[in-house]
Amino acid sequence: MLGLGVGVAQEPLLRDLRTGNADGGPVYRAAVARAAHFFNAHPYLCGLVVGAAARAEHDGAPPEQVERLRRALCGPLGSIGDRLVWAGWLPLTSALTLAAVALGAGAWTVAAFLVVYNAGHVALRWWALRAGWRHGTGVAVALHHPAIVRALSVVGPMAATAAGFCLPLAAGWLARPLPLWAKVVAALVALAGGSALLAAPRLTAQRLGLVLSAVALVIGVAWR
Amino acid sequence: MTALALVIWGTLVGLDLVSVPQMMIARPLVAGAGAGLLLGDVGAGLVVGVVLELFQYAILPVGAVRYPEYGPATVAAVAVAHAGGGMAAAGGERGGVLVLGLGVLVGLITAMAGGMSLHQLRRLNARVVHAADSLLEEGDPRVLVRLHAAAIGRDAIRAALVTGFGLGLAWMARFAVGTLTARDLALLDSVAVGAAFAAGAAGLLRIVGTGTQLRWLAAGLAGGVLTAWLA
Repeated sequence: MLGLGVGVAQEPLLRDLRTGNADGGPVYRAAVARAAHFFNAHPYLCGLVVGAAARAEHDGAPPEQVERLRRALCGPLGSIGDRLVWAGWLPLTSALTLAAVALGAGAWTVAAFLVVYNAGHVALRWWALRAGWRHGTGVAVALHHPAIVRALSVVGPMAATAAGFCLPLAAGWLARPLPLWAKVVAALVALAGGSALLAAPRLTAQRLGLVLSAVALVIGVAWR
Repeated sequence: MTALALVIWGTLVGLDLVSVPQMMIARPLVAGAGAGLLLGDVGAGLVVGVVLELFQYAILPVGAVRYPEYGPATVAAVAVAHAGGGMAAAGGERGGVLVLGLGVLVGLITAMAGGMSLHQLRRLNARVVHAADSLLEEGDPRVLVRLHAAAIGRDAIRAALVTGFGLGLAWMARFAVGTLTARDLALLDSVAVGAAFAAGAAGLLRIVGTGTQLRWLAAGLAGGVLTAWLA
């Protein structure tokens, strides 16, 4: 559904294509129509196609070329965004926040998470729009920007390290108030549940949690 | 008033997941802290937020994958944990210890409803956009903005309904607290904690994959265990 959003974002950049006609003229209207065509990629990198397609329209690129540009960017922007953000920046910042909370840092760390995460988020959106507008149809070169390449190489290991770091801390913090027998149950559930999730991809964490909670309720009632 | 504030917060959180602004207030940690702040119980919000954040690690929102929605679910779960903890304290059960497991159970059910609603909304939006194809091809920006705003509006309604559903479950769960013993609550808590750890670990392992990143995960794990031991 990103197509509509890309169109809304791109339209202000197309206003200079308007002629004196009441409806903006055929060139402007055709460009707006193209801007709203199907598009799907990582949301933080959509600015790249917004800027690049708008620049291409201004440079007089043939409509077919603009359409090809949009289609060609779907895959790479999705892949880069997923690796950089969903599997990188987000788990990195989130895991560090979890660790801080577990170490007693308090609610302010959640506010810090929002500030730090969104600094990276907004910077990426800002860069993407500017790079798209700067490069136009040659935008593929922007995807090889040294900062992007470097970020892709370091954010994964950093996220992995942070994730490993936060897990025992979070588990310990959550289990602390439980009586000993409940801590043992939690450990057994974690072991068995984790193994089941890894062995059976169709088993989701949500289903696991629901089933185990239901079993716990039944055991609790039966145990009286 | 608090219920209204929770519905509004849950709506904003639900909108943030996909529509606007995707600044991660939809993350359980943030949604939980916010709900806790509204209830005057940030501690409950953080605990529930941490648990459901671990569940969220099992999701990688790539492509057209369908997933549960943990934002409004966390708001509902915090409401249970806060109310249940207070009731448990008043009844002499566990002296004010958080009713976590029951809250997480309500949260997981609400998350499932949220995920289903997201899928239905996507289908509805696709139908609406497809029906407006010829209008969009005319290149009228007003049509574009209207369709876009309407889609966001539909997501807001969806998020509000899911939050309302979750808070409704939370209200019903209050009656369950009175019928559950301290042992029942502790068992639910332990299952919630164990399942959350399993979800977080398995999810993060899937994100990290095999290869060099697994070594970084192991290094982090060692560091975490050492820090937990020293802390």
